[in-house]
Amino acid sequence: MSGFKWRRWNIVLHRDIGYFSVALVIIYGVSGLAVNHVADWNPNYVQTKEIVQIDPIISFDKDTIVTLAMVRLQLTEAPQNYFRPDPETAQLFYPGKTYSIDLPTGTVLIEENRPRRVLFEMNQLHLNAPKGIWTYIADLFALSLIFMGVSGLFILKGKNGLKGRGKWFVLIGTALPLLYWIWYQFLQ
Amino acid sequence: MKKLFFISLITLLVAATAFSAGKKKYGNDLTVKEVTKISEIVANPDKFDGKRVLVQGPIVDVCKTRGCWIKIGSDKEFESVRFKVEDGVIVFPLEIKGQNASAEGIVSVKKYSVEEQIKSGEEHAKKEGTTFDPSSVKGTKVVLQINGEGAQVETK
Repeated sequence: MSGFKWRRWNIVLHRDIGYFSVALVIIYGVSGLAVNHVADWNPNYVQTKEIVQIDPIISFDKDTIVTLAMVRLQLTEAPQNYFRPDPETAQLFYPGKTYSIDLPTGTVLIEENRPRRVLFEMNQLHLNAPKGIWTYIADLFALSLIFMGVSGLFILKGKNGLKGRGKWFVLIGTALPLLYWIWYQFLQ
Repeated sequence: MKKLFFISLITLLVAATAFSAGKKKYGNDLTVKEVTKISEIVANPDKFDGKRVLVQGPIVDVCKTRGCWIKIGSDKEFESVRFKVEDGVIVFPLEIKGQNASAEGIVSVKKYSVEEQIKSGEEHAKKEGTTFDPSSVKGTKVVLQINGEGAQVETK
């Protein structure tokens, strides 16, 4: 057992697990930045709203309302679905787009939601929306991060190692969340 | 090895595209076989309070911030029901708006007295820095929702 070169194995595992995890580190890091600012923007969708005016539609019949709305809004395809939330409003649903028509006035609110491609997928994975097997992949990734953090402490020896300047960085890095939490919980 | 990796990746993408149409499951499997009309629940909320139901209808709205609820249109006009799921447990994407859903959960009916509504309205106005007019409250307010556990959405 005395021949076991733990530091060498530590470096090898740190390196290879690092290679293995790099895509996930980027996904979780980029998505972390995106969802951290959810109060300021929607990290998953580009949402647009537009108001257009058409002639009022005076009818209670679904087919008539849909046909007139399609003609007046110059829509070539039939809607995916149709709904009347209240007596004055008709909604036409198209993929990613909703037309809410105020029938007596002809004012139409067009809402469009387009996923932010790549970022949307990153956020779904980061927030474990798929559940199932992804839960275990994410667990494995979390364990990998812990391993990389701890193994990273023991990569170098000497003045740049943990016993040298490393210990000060570890101390500062540990104090940061600790002090912030004390301030947040008790002092602010 | 390199060839095998790329062939597997392409096969996976093709399979994912092929299987993406159909029904997408959110949360638990559906266990209730009989569909209850939303109009029946809206008409008799007390009868269904606490009962497990399966409802069907178009998704007419989706929670924009967290995907934690959908609104399902009733079989009757001017009616819908909110299908609320636990935050983060099920996340409904915005693009399912307009598609048809089959959704299972427990009906929840909450009633708020005039006093409760005034108190909550005043608290909300104070928090938001707005004004609240107590005379806008007209009688007991009934809030009906389905606490959702699982849903299937027809993807097109």
